[in-house]
Amino acid sequence: MFDSVEDVQQRFKSARYIASRRISTVVYLSERMGRPVLIEGPAGVGKTELAKTLADITNRPLIRLQCYEGLDEGKALYEWKYAKQLLYTQLLKDRIGELIADAPSLPDAVARIAGQDDAFFSFRFLSQRPLLSAIQSEQPVVLLIDEIDKAEPEFEAFLLEVLSDFQVSVPELGTVKAKHIPLVVLTSNNARELSDGLKRRCLHLFIDFPAPAEELEIIRLKVPEISAKLASAVVAAVQKIRALELRKPPSVSESLDWARSLVILNAQTLDATLVESTLTMLVKYEKDLERVKGALDKVLAP
Amino acid sequence: MDERILEFIGDLRRAELRISPSEAVDALAASAEVGLVDRETFKATLAATLVKESRDLETFERLFNLYFLDLEALGEGIKKALGPEDPRVQDLLDRLADEDGLELDDLTELLMRGEGSEMEMAIRAGGQNAGLERLMYFLQVGYFSRKIQDKFDWSAIERDIEKIMRMLEAKGLDPGQLARIRNYLELRLEAFNRMIRQHVERELERRAYRQGEKLTREVLSDKPLFALTPEEVAQMKNVVARLARKIKDALALRQRQEQKGRLDTRRTIRKSLSYGGVPMEVFLKRRHREKPKLITICDVSDSVRNASRFMLQLVWSLQECFSRVRSFVFVSEIAEVTQAFATYPVERGIEWALKAAPVDYHCRSDFGFAFSRFANSELESLDRKTTILLLGDARNNYNDPQAWALRLIRERVKGIIWLNPEGQWGWGIGDSVMPMYAPSCDLVRECRTIGQLGEVVDNLVHHWWRRGH
Repeated sequence: MFDSVEDVQQRFKSARYIASRRISTVVYLSERMGRPVLIEGPAGVGKTELAKTLADITNRPLIRLQCYEGLDEGKALYEWKYAKQLLYTQLLKDRIGELIADAPSLPDAVARIAGQDDAFFSFRFLSQRPLLSAIQSEQPVVLLIDEIDKAEPEFEAFLLEVLSDFQVSVPELGTVKAKHIPLVVLTSNNARELSDGLKRRCLHLFIDFPAPAEELEIIRLKVPEISAKLASAVVAAVQKIRALELRKPPSVSESLDWARSLVILNAQTLDATLVESTLTMLVKYEKDLERVKGALDKVLAP
Repeated sequence: MDERILEFIGDLRRAELRISPSEAVDALAASAEVGLVDRETFKATLAATLVKESRDLETFERLFNLYFLDLEALGEGIKKALGPEDPRVQDLLDRLADEDGLELDDLTELLMRGEGSEMEMAIRAGGQNAGLERLMYFLQVGYFSRKIQDKFDWSAIERDIEKIMRMLEAKGLDPGQLARIRNYLELRLEAFNRMIRQHVERELERRAYRQGEKLTREVLSDKPLFALTPEEVAQMKNVVARLARKIKDALALRQRQEQKGRLDTRRTIRKSLSYGGVPMEVFLKRRHREKPKLITICDVSDSVRNASRFMLQLVWSLQECFSRVRSFVFVSEIAEVTQAFATYPVERGIEWALKAAPVDYHCRSDFGFAFSRFANSELESLDRKTTILLLGDARNNYNDPQAWALRLIRERVKGIIWLNPEGQWGWGIGDSVMPMYAPSCDLVRECRTIGQLGEVVDNLVHHWWRRGH
């Protein structure tokens, strides 16, 4: 699919995603080795975006599983449509009656009904959840398992089983094996430690806040209307704000929002009043806001 | 190349990165996929397969740069160290080789013309069998440098240099020029020796990286708390932070596990009505389990101050996983410091509790008085979910121990755990009243070292809060 690491980098770039050498290498390896990628890093540095772009450039559908506390197999893998099954048995009551009408004994009747199991335990009555649909899909897909750290450790263990063999066993139907190995991307915000097993299985990628040059490139790419001068002023200011030890330092998504709003305001340069009035785009907590306001002259210093 | 990668993995493991065999296999397979053309790609490949914790990335980076030397950058560095190359001298040597059939030893050739990277490769080859794996301390650097130097045939170089000088002299160069050329050659020789030493130093750093840190930690873990110096106390802080993290993880996990409980008949039957009375969906009662409550009572008199400091740090970090943590400190007067802990950051909170809480720090400790005051004022607020964690040496200065107070407290709570920073041999001797308090406690543990504090924490996590509820 990819010829080389450079090829990955190029294709990401043409899809308007700046992938560093590290990111491209890991993506390339993941495809080559059939291994899931586990991405960690602060919120808003483009972890989820990476998976979306990957689906984009490989022309694969994206299947997304959003994790949350209490997520279980029923919601991640498959569930029987009980109500539909029940409805069908009710509707087909007469047919079932006919079927066993001339059965000589009770065991015979049970055997006949048992013979019809397949009618009710088939894919028709199976509602597929993201994991099963990723495995069952006729065409290769990108599977995004978002915020895996929000799910419970037990779910992780179960996921590990799916990710190592790319097969799922549905007791009534047998084992479903993947037709194509999906490209799997897991993201984590590090709310808790992930299990060693899962980490061992995955290629690990840590995405941090980008370096100034990289961030500038991202802003110029995503907000093409911005002037070169303003863009570099934005990057410099954001980098300085990040160094202020805030509760939630501004991330790439926030600096993009900020850049966009500055463009809308038709700003040419950054000055104190302008920054102060648009700061809420960048910093989300009251305390952080005060902190940045207090250090404004330092932030804007060339 | 595989051997080099495996050796590098050995280095990482020595620096306390956990790398499983399967990850090592992955690293080999992955590096075969990307090849060795690009250093950055190669580094990213190893990082992705070997380093699974972001906090280990820094160590990885450092060791990678030590092990897989950036030869290009190194060569540049050496060139700079040698000063501008003298093209005239090089020219001269070339002419000598062409016209007069000057033949030089391979080593001299390398020294005279070699790039930094080639020289480094030669040194590395020389170091192959020098027994560098025994290199552990800085004092050995000189010894091993000499050992590598001995691998090279210096007399051949000396001879070559003399030969060159003679030939140049014969060509009729004046003494000044000759001296400059000799100086140049000797400079290169010296640089080569420096490179050898640098190589050995790098090897040492690579091997011993973080070993020292580990050693101190091990020693400090078994050192009695009262004997720790302020610097050592600072070093042990992250050990305590790790302990706190352990308790947090264990408690969080347990709470999640216990969410499912007995059958909720009301909801199950109600839902079954929509399926014609068949209980298609089963509902379980969620057990609402309250988080355990914790009260710590710390002796902050001078004799146990270090131990109290660690205890308070532990307590401060635990605040968020217990629904209610209350902290008290006493010498003889007892005072609550919960509020200060909630508002101050950890360092300041502890300092405040140890120095500025409303208790008299200069009187002699009186456990009996403190317990009776506590029983008088707080008994009403205790319940069966509360665990009391007590820290003190039970040296009562011959005051009345008032053991009844502790007994009374015990009757109201889930349990009392007493950590004593004094060795077990001293309990009951002199003014120690430990034996009189012990019957009221569910657990009395010696807690003289950080290692022992760790054991107590393990015990609490695995038995105490697991048992019953």
